[in-house]
Amino acid sequence: MSAEDNAAEVKKPWRLSLDSWAVVVALLAALLVRAGVFKHIPW
Amino acid sequence: MADAVVLPQVQPVQPALRFLRIIPGVLLLGAIGYAGKLLEQNVGKYAKAHHWVFPNIEYVLWAILLGLIISNTIGVPEIFRSGVATYEFWLKAGIVLLGSRFLLGDILKLGGVSLLLVAVEIVGSLAFMTLLGRLFKLKPKLTTLLAVGSAVCGVSAIIATKGAIDADDEDSSFSIAAILALGAFALFTFPVIGHYLHLGDRAYGIWAGLAVDNTAEATAAGALYSDAAGKLAVLVKSTRNAMIGFVVLAYAIYWASQGQAKAVGNKAAFLWQKFPKFVLGFLLISVLATYSFFNKDQVGALANLSRWAFLLTFAGVGLRTNFRDMRKQGLRPFAVGAIGEVAIAVFTLGLVVGAEKLFGF
Repeated sequence: MSAEDNAAEVKKPWRLSLDSWAVVVALLAALLVRAGVFKHIPW
Repeated sequence: MADAVVLPQVQPVQPALRFLRIIPGVLLLGAIGYAGKLLEQNVGKYAKAHHWVFPNIEYVLWAILLGLIISNTIGVPEIFRSGVATYEFWLKAGIVLLGSRFLLGDILKLGGVSLLLVAVEIVGSLAFMTLLGRLFKLKPKLTTLLAVGSAVCGVSAIIATKGAIDADDEDSSFSIAAILALGAFALFTFPVIGHYLHLGDRAYGIWAGLAVDNTAEATAAGALYSDAAGKLAVLVKSTRNAMIGFVVLAYAIYWASQGQAKAVGNKAAFLWQKFPKFVLGFLLISVLATYSFFNKDQVGALANLSRWAFLLTFAGVGLRTNFRDMRKQGLRPFAVGAIGEVAIAVFTLGLVVGAEKLFGF
């Protein structure tokens, strides 16, 4: 493994992707609706 | 300690600071989206009160138009940019929540048909775009990026493929500009063609999901036609998105065999990394809705929450479309993209009409 590869590996901390964040937030919102925290969301 | 590797000191941006940075842009998305909603409600009423003949323009189009006007006149100031870029996040969250309006049976029925159509569309589009790229003597990797962008899922597919095949930044920005410009064009032409051909909501929704490349534009093109068409466009587009890993993997293996990209190690890990996770979230919410985890009022609330998320997305679609920047990217890749997109739109329209007769959806 070259020094650059090594550096690149060290630089990247593990993070949730944008996709996964969207899923987490949407599921959390759905659970809050299910729990009755938000009873009515107008449109 | 000889040969010590000196690592660059990257100053991480604090999560709180990152969150603060997106607030102005998210507020701008909300303001534009809400203005679009108010315009939808009031312009029609005003025109009717004054006996004017004025078409009913939905909030989707108003939000996109307002965003386009701002982006192409005064531009989007720096302070709003990080927040405006979150429109993809709202799109994906909106799609996950939309899962509550689909019962698993519908997904299996329509998903089966759309999977078949998507497979035919992907193979046909990749082959046609590759042929066009060769005819126009585009660079092979640029052709690959354009082919993947038009066959699978627009900008996300181009970005995923760029990393996997070691393509140039210039090639990927060419392809992204072409796909975005054509997506903006599709937004305005697809509903007109659909109405002209008297397509039903289902046929139109499936067509928009198959032929419009970017997920945001496909969702908007569907919603511009009708609510039901919008739902279908999202379902079909998500099926297309789910294929991204397989297509990118195939190209990565091909370019590695040519000695022009890194070899793919763990293929299963590669597929999981590229797989759009929001498709799984959409299926999970749909399973929960099917097994009555949510009551009727809660499903209504989730559907409205999904609409609000899409409202921010549509404002973002307008705001990030800048025609001047697109013109700077040159004509040749755009011409290949345009010819390819028209051919794919006609081809997929034929597929949908044929499938409608065959499967009667």
